[in-house]
Amino acid sequence: MPNEDAKESLAEKKWLARLAAGDADALGAIYEVYGERIFRYTARMLGNRTDAEDATAETFLRVLRQSATLRADGAFRTWLFRIARNLCIDKLRQHKLLELPPDMQYGGSEEKSALSVTVHQALNQLPLEYREPLVLCDLEEYSAKDAADVLNISVPALKSRLYRGRRALRDKLGSLLEGSKHEERNLSQTD
Amino acid sequence: MKNETYHKLIDLYAGRELPEGLDEAMEMAAFNDPELSHEMTTMRKTVDALQASSGDTFTEESYQRILMKIYARGGNIMPQAPAPAHLQYHLPMQG
Repeated sequence: MPNEDAKESLAEKKWLARLAAGDADALGAIYEVYGERIFRYTARMLGNRTDAEDATAETFLRVLRQSATLRADGAFRTWLFRIARNLCIDKLRQHKLLELPPDMQYGGSEEKSALSVTVHQALNQLPLEYREPLVLCDLEEYSAKDAADVLNISVPALKSRLYRGRRALRDKLGSLLEGSKHEERNLSQTD
Repeated sequence: MKNETYHKLIDLYAGRELPEGLDEAMEMAAFNDPELSHEMTTMRKTVDALQASSGDTFTEESYQRILMKIYARGGNIMPQAPAPAHLQYHLPMQG
């Protein structure tokens, strides 16, 4: 909705101006609106709650530190997600260097269905270039344009990675999707 | 070897991005083509499973822990909502 977008953009400009002036309420307001989205994104990228909380806190600290130089030109959300993304990539690199095993407590298995856990484990095994478009487009419901902006790539490149990512995920979920065999029979009379 | 358009149509079908008429046309085509049927079904199932999967929930505890991390690293932040009673630190009763 263009009107809603315009309102959101106007509100962001006000918050950022107040933030630059040192108003503590402004960061609280920004955290209130974007905290959950950034946490969900970082949790999906990193695969564990502790790192996600850490990356979310650091994202908002960077907003605070850079507020004086930030141009509030309506691209705040993209900028915010880019900060979160860079922090996630740094953390993933650290994990790789330290050879930390993936956190199996991701999301609290007891809270989630077996399917959800399997899907997220498969997602976390995908290369970053495939995981990122899947998280942004299929989970966070970003448009291709917005996701491409966050990743700083073109829309065709984004779509290409998204589709390759879906195929890679499908291959990882192979046996889980076996249940679909009989639906295929409904689609194909020769089966 | 299938061409690029073939794969693109399956991708669009999987993400429910095709116009309704084309969606049905794809399903009709799959009726006589087991390989196409398999591709369409498994790809759509993959997207559906991904979209239906719940991520980590943003709990009140996470909300408060993130606030504390921001404070601890020098961020001056004023939360909009007060901390719930069960997360507030209580001093022991004075004797």
